[in-house]
Amino acid sequence: MQRDWPDLLGGLTLAALGAVAAVWALVHYDLGSLRQMGPGFFPAVLGAVLLALGLIVALPALRRAAPQPRIEVGVVVAVLAAILIFGLGLFYLGLAGATAAAVLVATLPAPRPGWRWRVALAIVVAALTVLVFSIGLQMTLPLWPRLP
Amino acid sequence: MTIALTRRAALACAVAFAAVPAVAQDTWPTGPVHVFVGFPAGSSPDILARIITDPLSQRLGQPVVIENRPGAGGVIGVQQMLVSAGDGHTFGTTINGPLTTAQRLMDDTGFDVAEDIAPVTLIATSPLVLAVSSDSDFTDVDSFVAAAGAEPEALTFGSVGQGSGAHLTAELFAAEAGVSMLHIPFTSYAEVTTSIMGGEIDSGFMAPSAALPHVEAGSMRMLGITSAEPFAQAPDVPVLAGQAGLPDDFRAELWNAFIAPADTDPAVIERLNTEINEILADPAVQEQLLAIGWQAAPGSPADLEERIATDTAMWGAVIDRVEAQ
Amino acid sequence: MTTWEGLLFGLGFALQPEVLVYCLLGVVLGTFVGVLPGIGAMAAISLLLPITFYITPEAALIMLAGVYYGAQYGGAVASILLRLPGTPQSAVTTLDGYPMARQGRAGVALFTAMASSFAGSVFGIVVLVLLAGWLSRAATAFGAADYAAMMFLGLVAASTIGASRPAKGFAMVTLGLLLGCVGTDVNSGVQRFTFGQTELLDGINLVALAMGLFGVAEVISNVRDPDRQGVAERLGLRSLMPRREDLRRMGWPILRGSAMGSFFGALPGTGSTLSSFLSYSMERRVARQPERFGNGAIEGVAGPESANNSAAITAFAPTLTLGIPGDPIMALMLGALVIHGVQPGPMMLEARPEMFWGLVASFGIGNLLLLILNLPLIGIWVAMLRIPFHLMYPAILVFLCLGVYSVRGLSFDIVAVAMIGLAGYLLTLARFSPALLLLGFVLGPLIETNLRRAFLISRGDPMVFFERPIAAGFVLASIALLLLSLWQAWRRRAGAGDEVSSG
Repeated sequence: MQRDWPDLLGGLTLAALGAVAAVWALVHYDLGSLRQMGPGFFPAVLGAVLLALGLIVALPALRRAAPQPRIEVGVVVAVLAAILIFGLGLFYLGLAGATAAAVLVATLPAPRPGWRWRVALAIVVAALTVLVFSIGLQMTLPLWPRLP
Repeated sequence: MTIALTRRAALACAVAFAAVPAVAQDTWPTGPVHVFVGFPAGSSPDILARIITDPLSQRLGQPVVIENRPGAGGVIGVQQMLVSAGDGHTFGTTINGPLTTAQRLMDDTGFDVAEDIAPVTLIATSPLVLAVSSDSDFTDVDSFVAAAGAEPEALTFGSVGQGSGAHLTAELFAAEAGVSMLHIPFTSYAEVTTSIMGGEIDSGFMAPSAALPHVEAGSMRMLGITSAEPFAQAPDVPVLAGQAGLPDDFRAELWNAFIAPADTDPAVIERLNTEINEILADPAVQEQLLAIGWQAAPGSPADLEERIATDTAMWGAVIDRVEAQ
Repeated sequence: MTTWEGLLFGLGFALQPEVLVYCLLGVVLGTFVGVLPGIGAMAAISLLLPITFYITPEAALIMLAGVYYGAQYGGAVASILLRLPGTPQSAVTTLDGYPMARQGRAGVALFTAMASSFAGSVFGIVVLVLLAGWLSRAATAFGAADYAAMMFLGLVAASTIGASRPAKGFAMVTLGLLLGCVGTDVNSGVQRFTFGQTELLDGINLVALAMGLFGVAEVISNVRDPDRQGVAERLGLRSLMPRREDLRRMGWPILRGSAMGSFFGALPGTGSTLSSFLSYSMERRVARQPERFGNGAIEGVAGPESANNSAAITAFAPTLTLGIPGDPIMALMLGALVIHGVQPGPMMLEARPEMFWGLVASFGIGNLLLLILNLPLIGIWVAMLRIPFHLMYPAILVFLCLGVYSVRGLSFDIVAVAMIGLAGYLLTLARFSPALLLLGFVLGPLIETNLRRAFLISRGDPMVFFERPIAAGFVLASIALLLLSLWQAWRRRAGAGDEVSSG
């Protein structure tokens, strides 16, 4: 009952993506002719090819064993949250604030205990980004949190 | 148009009464002024904006920061100006597309020209030239139109994409001359130029400054220009109007304008209009603009408003025809 | 002016103290922004543009060009040490450079990258000087059908590199091609797969895609990786230096890579990316043990690095001789000239010889400066690996977000990085190659527009791909390569079957 889950799920996901893209293109965009290819031609063909390739990857994986990778859910959530906080908070928290907040969130899953190093790191990285990007590269960004 | 005007005036009054103290116009600007440009640094609209904002910064006594937000033919720049609006220090420069044709060509631009944007002034205009390879047999517009009329889509023209100024100008030209040409879209003028020189396509409308170097090098020929009068940068190129069956008022120009968010204090718009008009009156600035292919075109906010209206109608008719094909 | 006179004249110009300072400034800044994840030459040049108002156009061009090729050197550092490629061409460098670093051979990998970059640049300069006119004529001789056929050859040649199974490689390329369809269709103006987001009208941001697929995915994979926690053992000076064996392996890949890069670099579009992928796949094909590739083969660093650097130099041929920029960065540099009132075009070479020859000479000087600058830095870069990962990755995340933001100043792109990062992490876990996705994404729009353009111009006649000699050559080469690959795969499968049954 062993399966190569990465290839199986990966292949099936790609196949599904290809199918959705192809159908979407067929429904919404004009296919055109060979002389005047429409906007739908390429996505429809590529979607169909991806569907086929996804199945080619997935089907043999049914009868094959493979080591199963572990998904680090905690790390994924913390890292993505840090990026989102930085991206969405840049204009409200300023460069320094957003950097510090993102660093604090990003360090949550780090295997080293304690909070002092996290705060120190947040301050150091915030100083570094301000120095490099705002002062060094002259990017125009608000530096500090916006006062209400 | 009148409705929009009234609405904007009402809005401006409301803002003036509600929050802005009467002294605002004396103290403005209180901080750095941000000018959004919908094209990347180093592009022609960006260089044009910098020619204007350098002296503007001196006149206002505050830094003027160019914010490049390239994308979607300049639409992203206007959008981002509106997103950042509200502090009275955010403005933009834009080419004609986002204000005239984008509403027709795009699913949703995210803004309404009449409601969200206050015109400040036109900055400069640029005609387009009809360029062909010097290896071709075409020596003037008449021979070109005659060859194009031999059969439908006998000749091809390149543009920088569906709905671009170069595309719509060529369609307008073809319709007025009574011929039909095959449109070959490219992604940049550099590609169009190479393709014309390589003989792959027959023609293309482009900025005179883009064609001139290749004309001087003998690899390209300019058959005509879309302005009402000969253009200072290429004085020998005949105007297209009145030739080869084209009407006498045939005219198609690209332009660049200075705009503000609709809720900007009218006094600030007045001040900006005056300053920019004075900057444009400087012969040195005019020369700088001409060097990159733009003719200074000062005027009032109302002039820009009218220009937006007439061009929206003119290009709208061309788009109708293209869509009907 | 003969070539020698020109070169002497150019050297005289480029060696003026003032010009030399700008050249140095350019290459140092280029290295620096290249090392920072996500911030590339494009962003750095845009930021520098206002400064160039105040210096002569020649000095400005020399400085900006220094940033451009300096960033290629720096880009290799982040790719090899951290698997953080800022550009598609450095994505190729990660394929073998990063495994080398994980095996404790980071110093050798960096040395290889620097030496190959230098050698590739020198090769490119020689080609540029001797063949500039010929290269620009080649660029105008290429039509839509030729480009489409050439890109197709690139896809066929590169589709299986770095993939554990061929089908997975093809699937990634196809996904990349499909992602390349997102945005406004040039031919019809139709907005494809944009779902009402104006930020997607010009397609997915390339830097966001590269940073998400590689950078974010790499950070997630390593946060709890026990190998990255402890302080790495101190590396002796000996481990930084390449062995004689390493040097011997670098020679031919550099020569082949440089030749390929010089040719493709001159063609507008994506010569640099295409040539680094092609160089990698060629090295793997000619290698005696292709299975070493992906596990730290030095040829996999040397070939592509020399290819993309020689391409970076010859890309100036059409830009300088015709005034036709091959990519957005070249367009930006021409913009810098326009600011100074210099109209780029075919006449520029005659009107301002100091521009061409000064720049060519500065390429040589700048690359020498880069080599002198970067070789001692290798020790410092490698020492950076001894910083515990948990102190480094939060800074990497913030830096790559800012790098992505610097491209066009939209927060949307940072949000996109998070989503692409998640996808990239899952793809890496399932052993799908993100480099191939990136290749498909870069080539996709070029193939599509050129193919459609070719059919428009030929009025729908497919014979255009066989009647034009250049296109026909590429098509035949693609078919031959496909057949060869299929035959090799069949033989390998037969061979593998034997091994399994005997073992």
